[in-house]
Amino acid sequence: MAEMAARRVPADQSDASWNVGSETELADLASESVMVFDLAGNIRYWNPASERLYGWPAIGSVGRSITEMSSNAELCVKQWHTLLQEGTWAGLVKRRASCGGQVTAVVRQTVRCDAEGRPRDIVEYGQRAGKERYPSSFPEINLHRQAAASWELDTSHVRPLLEAIGDLMSRGLGADLAQRPDWIDELLTGTRIVNVNERAAHLVGAHAGRAGMIGESVGAFWPRVGRAVLAELIAAVATDRSATSMRKVAPDGILRDAVVTVWRSEALERSDTVFVAVNGVIDDDRSFWYLRASEERYRKMIHQLPTALLQVDLSRMGQTFGELKTEGVSDLDAYLDDHPELLDFANGVVRVIDANQKAVALFNGTAPADFIRPVGFLFAASPETARRVIVARFEGRRSYSEVMKVRTFDGQILDVRVSVTYPGPQRLDVALIGLEDITERLRTERRLRQLETDFTHAARISILGELATSIAHEVNQPLSAIVTNGETSLRWLSRDDPNLVKVGELTTRVVSSARRASDIVKRIRGMAAKQEPERLPLNLNDVVDEALLFVRHDIEARSISLSVKLAADLPAVLGDRIQLQQVIVNLLVNSIQAIDQGNGSLQRIDLSTGVEDGDKVVFSVHDSGLGIAVGDLDRIFDCFFTTKDDGVGIGLAVCQSIIIAHGGSISVSNCPDGGAEFRFWLPTQFARISEPTGGTYA
Amino acid sequence: MFESPVIAIVEDDEALREALSDLLQVLGLPCRTFDRAEAFLVALEHSPFGCLISDVRLPGISGLDLLQRLKQRGSTLPVIIVTSYADSSIRSRALEGGAYAYLTKPFADEALLRHLNSALRSNGRLGDANEQEDGPDG
Repeated sequence: MAEMAARRVPADQSDASWNVGSETELADLASESVMVFDLAGNIRYWNPASERLYGWPAIGSVGRSITEMSSNAELCVKQWHTLLQEGTWAGLVKRRASCGGQVTAVVRQTVRCDAEGRPRDIVEYGQRAGKERYPSSFPEINLHRQAAASWELDTSHVRPLLEAIGDLMSRGLGADLAQRPDWIDELLTGTRIVNVNERAAHLVGAHAGRAGMIGESVGAFWPRVGRAVLAELIAAVATDRSATSMRKVAPDGILRDAVVTVWRSEALERSDTVFVAVNGVIDDDRSFWYLRASEERYRKMIHQLPTALLQVDLSRMGQTFGELKTEGVSDLDAYLDDHPELLDFANGVVRVIDANQKAVALFNGTAPADFIRPVGFLFAASPETARRVIVARFEGRRSYSEVMKVRTFDGQILDVRVSVTYPGPQRLDVALIGLEDITERLRTERRLRQLETDFTHAARISILGELATSIAHEVNQPLSAIVTNGETSLRWLSRDDPNLVKVGELTTRVVSSARRASDIVKRIRGMAAKQEPERLPLNLNDVVDEALLFVRHDIEARSISLSVKLAADLPAVLGDRIQLQQVIVNLLVNSIQAIDQGNGSLQRIDLSTGVEDGDKVVFSVHDSGLGIAVGDLDRIFDCFFTTKDDGVGIGLAVCQSIIIAHGGSISVSNCPDGGAEFRFWLPTQFARISEPTGGTYA
Repeated sequence: MFESPVIAIVEDDEALREALSDLLQVLGLPCRTFDRAEAFLVALEHSPFGCLISDVRLPGISGLDLLQRLKQRGSTLPVIIVTSYADSSIRSRALEGGAYAYLTKPFADEALLRHLNSALRSNGRLGDANEQEDGPDG
């Protein structure tokens, strides 16, 4: 009975030593006004009959002092004094009514004591003086239905706006809020719900309930028809503390003769608190107004959700399904195989009836109205998805989800995860379709995969160096044994007593080590036997970009300035992307090393691509190193020629093999302004080239 | 003539182990060969050696680790590191680690002999290889 909780002590005013027990449940149903006060006269409990008698709802009354409510405070204080002295008091009281007038009531007040005999609280029973009868149209049973839907609101966030409106009013400029929907929106959005009673929650808080309403903006729950009225009333009381404003609301079908009363808290420290009571008799709990209010909230909520959502009307399909099941169809999937036209039918009769803002944005539309049509368009790019969605519905599943492609209104194809939530058994008409754009995620995944591949390439490129080192080691072992055995033989032979037996033994070992070396070479050749290189059309600029990924870090780490001039509209070449990448990476690594060795002040690499003679694509890399010794220029591409301390001398040889196998050629020259320039050219895709005789580059 | 110091050879490649031990035999230098560093360390417990020739790449403890262990226990045994990796980083690690000499395979017997003789002398044991032309020259 949350309503009673609201009728008791709001959390922020609760006092642990004072507790209205479950006893108030009895009073909740009484037709007489029942109140409980603490010893200081502060209201602790206020039953529905009190709400009817005085017009003030429990919310806003609990916590107030009874003296404040009295039309004659001085008299009230005297009476209170008597009550505390004598333990009981009975008589007439005049109290202010919410409608602005006053109510005269006959009351009996009794002080209740605790177990030790100390005064604990005061209970008051009262009724309107003059013994008016309730009209016969108000049977007792309906009493609780007349309780006000009451609200406690916090207007502190909209105080500047309220002051501005008040200022206009005070200057007689009249602020007709009905003409300013933007002010109404701002006012109701910024005004927060502090507390509501169960009735208010019941009327307009359907999905949220009391707990879900507290802390939210009043505009999210207040029915549309009364928005201007509420805003005007709040503005009216904001400027005048003592004012209570009330207004009839146009009939909505939920409350007969609904009257909205708004007043401001009288407590100085709570001057931003405003109380609202809506009085009226409910016609029907499931009335039009209630449904419309909750549907409106539901729509509003859906429209603002950060997920793209479509609402679809399934009612026509539900009928068809019913007929099919009557005919004995149980496997719709199989049925669709024989009746593919059912799918077209479904795509035509299932209609989108609403779409939220996120969906509009996802499809690059302009308004939800763009979507109001048969659902077929949604599955145009993934017809099979529509089929699975329908089968899931037929099988009575509550939801279905998969990844599909959609075509947006401007023709883009997006990857989306579609999630369909089917209505429960009691509501067979509306389903929700959620769409999550995962295009970017899939793109990222593809990029990652590409990067992974690239790293594999990078690894392959570096393996070239590793491989060369391993080859050197493997071959060096037997060579070393051969050299040592040979030299030992020579020593034996040069002695005065040559040990020919020993020399024979050593010579046998030399032969076997030499065989071993030869086997190793054979094995390596077998290991490095290449697959056929690919011959696909490539843009060399792309290959250069990829190659730069591998060395960019080295270039940046050494603060080498890199200039890249890639010719636009480069014709395609036919080639093996990985091999050409290896060539470019190798040349770049050489350039970096040349600059390292050069230790010159100028650290620069110029890289360019271009077209020559119309049928050659040219790549050039020029470094600011020391250049190449003139004597070495002719040998630089020879296998195992190296100028480096720990170089193996196969890099440039491999580069040359690859370029020649691609029908091109590679050359090196020293530049007049210093440094070396490596250039290679490749025939364009359509250039006529004699088939290369092939080259092995292990 | 004092007993010549024994030279230890640690090399996992059998062909090379035999080749080296035959070379030292013709030079008149006694030697013991080991296929792993661990085996040599066990022998070192109770046998004095005049010099150690060790490969770098070994199963288990590598030649460079072996060098480090010997230096850590304060051994003055000269260590000649031989390797088939022409790698400047291994070379600098060997020399910084206190190797007496560093040779890349295949090495000339002359080079090994020069280093051996000077190592044995430095170790206070004059090893005299049975050589007509002897001693290191500049």
